[in-house]
Amino acid sequence: MSIKVRMAAVIQKLTNNQKEFDSEGSSVNELISNLEKQFPGFKAQILAEDNQVHQFLNIYVNDEDIRFIANLDTEIKDGDTVSFLPALAGGN
Amino acid sequence: MLLKIPIEYKNFIINHAKNDVPNEACGIIHCLDGKPSNIYKVTNVADSPYRYEMDGIEQLNLEKKREMSGEQLFAIYHSHVATEAKPSPTDVRMAFFPPGNFDAEPMFDNIFYILVSLENEIPDVKFYSIKKGPEVLEIDVNFE
Repeated sequence: MSIKVRMAAVIQKLTNNQKEFDSEGSSVNELISNLEKQFPGFKAQILAEDNQVHQFLNIYVNDEDIRFIANLDTEIKDGDTVSFLPALAGGN
Repeated sequence: MLLKIPIEYKNFIINHAKNDVPNEACGIIHCLDGKPSNIYKVTNVADSPYRYEMDGIEQLNLEKKREMSGEQLFAIYHSHVATEAKPSPTDVRMAFFPPGNFDAEPMFDNIFYILVSLENEIPDVKFYSIKKGPEVLEIDVNFE
């Protein structure tokens, strides 16, 4: 099962500056575990202390935000693209 | 450092900010060879007068567009509806990943953060750079 992973430019340092590459997993959680094996330290930057996705990090399966599907349990299948990008945000 | 910016960009940002009142407005400017080349409104999914969060898919699509065109990210702008044109502590915190990780380089090292304030009758537009530390520097801009 091949999953295409896409990292936003600003966090490509987490994946040895790779922008797009293939990985594996049947859920986002499993994919992140595999990415941790490929890029040690990856998981700690992506997940908060409660083991949930960091509040200001967005993960999309194709064009769907996983928060509106099943969060880390979101299923992924061969050929899907999973994108990681930090939110551009602020406020007064 | 004196930055020269076409006045159309300033007008675009002010009009966007006014149109989105009472909520904050946000967007992105691309550049080519260091000069602004395109400006894009981005949906504020926070839909709030007090904060903004750019729509992630629009953000991703603009990144792809830059890859195709050879442009680079030049600036991120957003409005403050009732406060001054200066990055708030939240704005500065969010310039880093994870937020508030001031010992690291900011997410974008060489871009400008543009703030437009609608606090007074005449909108105020100011440019800043945000560096490790955090260090927030206002940039002199000549709109022409």
